[in-house]
Amino acid sequence: MLATPATPMQRSQGAAFASFRCLDGRARLADLAQQGSAKAMLPRVSGVPEVVFLNTSGGLTDGDNLSYRLELGADCRVTATTQTAERVYASRGAPARAKVQASVGAGAHLDWLPQETILFQSSHLARDTQVDLAPGASCLLSETVVLGRHAMGETLTDARLTDARMVRRGGVPVWASTLRIDASVLADASAALLGQARGFAVIALMAQGAEDAVARLRAVLTHAGCHSAASGWDGKCIARITARDGWPLKQQMALALAALRAGPLPRVWQM
Amino acid sequence: MVDPTDRLRLVQWLSPAFPIGAFAYSQGLEVAITDGDIRTASDLEAWIAAILRHGSGRIDAIILAHARQPQADLAGLTALILALATSAERVTELQEQGRAFALAISAITGVDHPPRPYPIAVGAATASLNVPTAEVLTLWLQGLAAQLTSAAVRFVPLGQTDGQKVLARLAPRITALAAEYAEAPLSALHSSAIRADIAAMRHETLPVRIFRT
Repeated sequence: MLATPATPMQRSQGAAFASFRCLDGRARLADLAQQGSAKAMLPRVSGVPEVVFLNTSGGLTDGDNLSYRLELGADCRVTATTQTAERVYASRGAPARAKVQASVGAGAHLDWLPQETILFQSSHLARDTQVDLAPGASCLLSETVVLGRHAMGETLTDARLTDARMVRRGGVPVWASTLRIDASVLADASAALLGQARGFAVIALMAQGAEDAVARLRAVLTHAGCHSAASGWDGKCIARITARDGWPLKQQMALALAALRAGPLPRVWQM
Repeated sequence: MVDPTDRLRLVQWLSPAFPIGAFAYSQGLEVAITDGDIRTASDLEAWIAAILRHGSGRIDAIILAHARQPQADLAGLTALILALATSAERVTELQEQGRAFALAISAITGVDHPPRPYPIAVGAATASLNVPTAEVLTLWLQGLAAQLTSAAVRFVPLGQTDGQKVLARLAPRITALAAEYAEAPLSALHSSAIRADIAAMRHETLPVRIFRT
């Protein structure tokens, strides 16, 4: 048998980086770098600066490599998000890779509130989110995943997601969570896994005294069409939400995030 | 070669009679029962199978296997398992059972075993036993399955025999998972048990609670 030459694939590569330093009590952009399909934009906002990341390739597929990176100097307060939902298209096997890295300096705070990730049939995404907190630093993280386009009646039977999150404080893990979705999970109707949910999300606040936020978070985790809960301990407050489809999930996320932060949500989150 | 006396020690330490109070913890199963998600033997079997393959059973077993290795970084594994904990009550369950286990093992062996999260305490204590890790994990996973089954048969209209049938049907999956987890790297510490995590969190606000988790 003759070896078939490998078909050259259209792979997209992108890396965007932004760093901030605190001057006169406000975070100021110190450095910005972007290459390939990744962009970082800084919309004009009053108050806490916003970084909006964008993947201009219009979605992720096998072999794609996307990297977003943030560096916050001491005492900086920055909100970062993404311009649109990230769509993950069918893969011929290899995963699309996405990496999110943030280092948050002493006394600084990062909100990382990306828009949802939508997994299409046969998609394969390996995402790695790493946040390093210096002493006294804090962060609020969220992640929303929607399985297929529910409005179009899609039901996924095959999709792979390995969504790793690791937050370290002074190099020591304080929150780790790697969520895995694959065909065996999608086929398993056990009430311990997704049940009937086709969208799910997590919110994590890591800060001194974060456990005290659990009461105010529970008070808003009541949105119709969602099944949610929160827990707080050891400087962490974590909420998990599942929903039958993406819209109530997004509404619930906006309510929950608003309960955890001062000031308006980034414009992309306003509904 | 397996040492038969070591094997017997292992069975003793992981038996339901070992004084760690395992019967008091349901890992959120109490909420799933209250919500009506577990009504039949097959619901229970699916729940336990999911926990073993995609949830806390997987996490704990892989960490235990790593804690058994020579020169294991027990402090690093302790930080990791606590970082992986999905709710306040999960931390309580890991710490309290681990403390009780270390106390009992110290008393039996005369060697001081400091308190550590339960799977790490078991890994550290069994490191000296001449028994393969897959066998330790088989008993460990079987113990978790039996703990969840006994919690369920108290509140779901299921007889003791129905519970035992569920356990018997899970046996081939338990041995296969034990063999897999014995060799698994730390990158295999992933979970898909989102609704079980939510159930465990909701247990904290359940008005009437029989179990501690």
